[in-house]
Amino acid sequence: MGAAPKTNKQGEEQIPRRHFLAWLSGVGILGSAMAGVFSTFVFMKPRATYGQPNRFRIGRPDEFPSGARMAIDSKRVCIVREGNKVAAISTTCTHLGCIVAPSATGFQCPCHGSQFDVDGNVTGGPAPKALSWYQVTLTPSGELEVDKDNEIQTGTYLSV
Amino acid sequence: MRLALAVVSLVVLIGSGVVVYDQFHSRWEDNQKAYFNQALELAKTPAERASVAAQTPKIEQTIVTAFGTTRIDRCESCHIAVDDPRFTSAKQPLHTHPYSEAMGDVPKNGRWERRHKFTDFGCTSCHDGQGRGLEKADAHGEEEFWPDPMLGYTTQSNWKKDIAAHVQGKDYMQANCAQCHTSKDFAGTPLVSQGRELFFKTGCYGCHRIEGVSSGTLGPDLTEVGKERKLDYLWGHIVNPRDYTATSIMPKFKLSDDDKKALVVFLKSRRGSSLSESSVESYRLTTTNVTPAMPGTTTLAGMAPVLAPAARGEKLIGDLACMSCHKLGDRDGGISPDLSYEGLMRDQPWLMDHFRTPRSRVPDSNMPAFGLPEEDFQAITTYLLTRTTPPPAMSAADAYKNLCSRCHGEKGDGRGINAIYLDPAPRDLTSAEFMVNKPDARFVASIHDGVGGTSMPAWGKSLNDDQIKGVLDYVYQAFVKEPRHQLKARKVPEQNPVPQSAASDAHGEAIFMERCTGCHGRKADGHGPNSLDISPRPRNLRNAAFMQRVSDHRLFESVEYGVEGTAMPSWMDYGLSQSDVGDIVNYIRSLNQTGK
Repeated sequence: MGAAPKTNKQGEEQIPRRHFLAWLSGVGILGSAMAGVFSTFVFMKPRATYGQPNRFRIGRPDEFPSGARMAIDSKRVCIVREGNKVAAISTTCTHLGCIVAPSATGFQCPCHGSQFDVDGNVTGGPAPKALSWYQVTLTPSGELEVDKDNEIQTGTYLSV
Repeated sequence: MRLALAVVSLVVLIGSGVVVYDQFHSRWEDNQKAYFNQALELAKTPAERASVAAQTPKIEQTIVTAFGTTRIDRCESCHIAVDDPRFTSAKQPLHTHPYSEAMGDVPKNGRWERRHKFTDFGCTSCHDGQGRGLEKADAHGEEEFWPDPMLGYTTQSNWKKDIAAHVQGKDYMQANCAQCHTSKDFAGTPLVSQGRELFFKTGCYGCHRIEGVSSGTLGPDLTEVGKERKLDYLWGHIVNPRDYTATSIMPKFKLSDDDKKALVVFLKSRRGSSLSESSVESYRLTTTNVTPAMPGTTTLAGMAPVLAPAARGEKLIGDLACMSCHKLGDRDGGISPDLSYEGLMRDQPWLMDHFRTPRSRVPDSNMPAFGLPEEDFQAITTYLLTRTTPPPAMSAADAYKNLCSRCHGEKGDGRGINAIYLDPAPRDLTSAEFMVNKPDARFVASIHDGVGGTSMPAWGKSLNDDQIKGVLDYVYQAFVKEPRHQLKARKVPEQNPVPQSAASDAHGEAIFMERCTGCHGRKADGHGPNSLDISPRPRNLRNAAFMQRVSDHRLFESVEYGVEGTAMPSWMDYGLSQSDVGDIVNYIRSLNQTGK
């Protein structure tokens, strides 16, 4: 069993059969190893967690009268309605995560006195940045849905 | 070698490829993609289109903490269109959950608003099934190990075919409505109300206990039966209890399919968590037609007329559904003895004792102690004692057919319609071996005076001596079919020659434990390990009502010479002396002494 490369009649070098087989085995083993590593890494990120969902329904638009600023503490979001425009502003303080409360001038954090204006921009206190705005959509059943995974630009309203 | 390695490695590659594909490609993703595509077509505004287009398939879950244990329902991962009213005509899984005013949904501004929002209630609190499951079979609970398959929708693989067809349909979900809507006559759960009524009307409450509803002790406690059993078991067990538990003494009740369904729904709703229930007491109030006095009104007007005890007893018998087991006149439950001639067969103390504790008079009776108030028992007893019209004169064959065959069977083989519920079982009159050599006097006495401690009543007041003789002759001629013959004279003492003493009892017990327990059992109650294979069954020697009427002579004869036509052997052949038998008789007598 010699391993020297053979030549065919035309003198071209043939790939020896055993090299080809070795290459094939390599592809097979490496390929399955990669599939294994890939799936292991994918499995590290769970597809579902047991926290409350980040996308949730908050009810029909007519439950929020014009001018309402309704904080839903369990969801940490404040629903703002002006005319026929609706938006959802985070009520988690950007400083240390306390729940801010709506006040006459906007939002007020009870922990360290951070103050925000009606749009969530910082007006005082230690908070480093403005409160996030979340995307609000209208579902086909006519309910408002807030998606906390989807932050949008301050001042973007949904028309209802 | 290299070829083999190459082939193996390629096979492994293909295998891992299949596994990766299988793991990362799910049906729910396909369903969601299909939904997004259709929603995109249906979208009317660019903003709506953009928001649909931005969505990617992900596991949708509802976490419900309001109802006892935390539920995690991922049903909407596949059934993503449940709350999208545009999909009412789509096929499952992309079908809108129906809206119904009966469930409290209200139309508002042209759109329905649900009473039971999925974000608050989840899916499994009404439907059952496995909320976490993401494969169809898992989520619907089709695997036989899953305790709560989707109510009325899913059939599990190990369910019997004939039962599975009966437990289909959304009506079964009423069992889950009743978990929260516990009020007695809740309009949304008519089957639960009907089943509850049947639970009282067919006498289930007499044997079974349900916390706060009934207090029977003869059968298993059903307080949490809905949590422990699935629909198929409940249905099948009502149809024939012995399909599931070979030794069950539960009767096979005559129920229509509708009644069975109502009972199954009611039982399925018993999960031990209901807050309010209607009890036996409130049921009795409805049967006596006494309307509870309203404040500020006169009570006299609402009072039921005071009935004479006998009339009240007759009414009680009807209200309490005694005839779902017993026979009385034309009504026959086919389970328990005929009460039509009760006034001729039993007396006041027997009936009262039997009502208070049936097993004080018939020790192996399956009649429950219903625990009614004493005056109700007295009223029923008074009524039963008025049943003194003897059966009309008829031929011996007709007398057997009308009076005896219900227990002893049309063919005399001891297999009448209610025979399996009687313990001891009715005598097999076709067993010539047993019948031919017993003296006439014994059979005449059994018919005339009845057999104590059993369901055989005394016919002495219903039939005259000639009729009794006629029936006995008919039995010999029609069933035994062999000539009677006298046995050779046997040396059997009339009285036990061995005097009762502690030493004699102890010796008798020692022999009994050694020789008799295989059939008669260590407690001498006739339930020894061999007893199930023996017909007729070994005698329960602790049946005091029976044993007190058996003479020493008969006991000696049975032990020494055996009983022909039964499994009782002749113990003289196995070396028992007469004094041994005397000790055994003393031991058995000592078991049945009352007041000890």
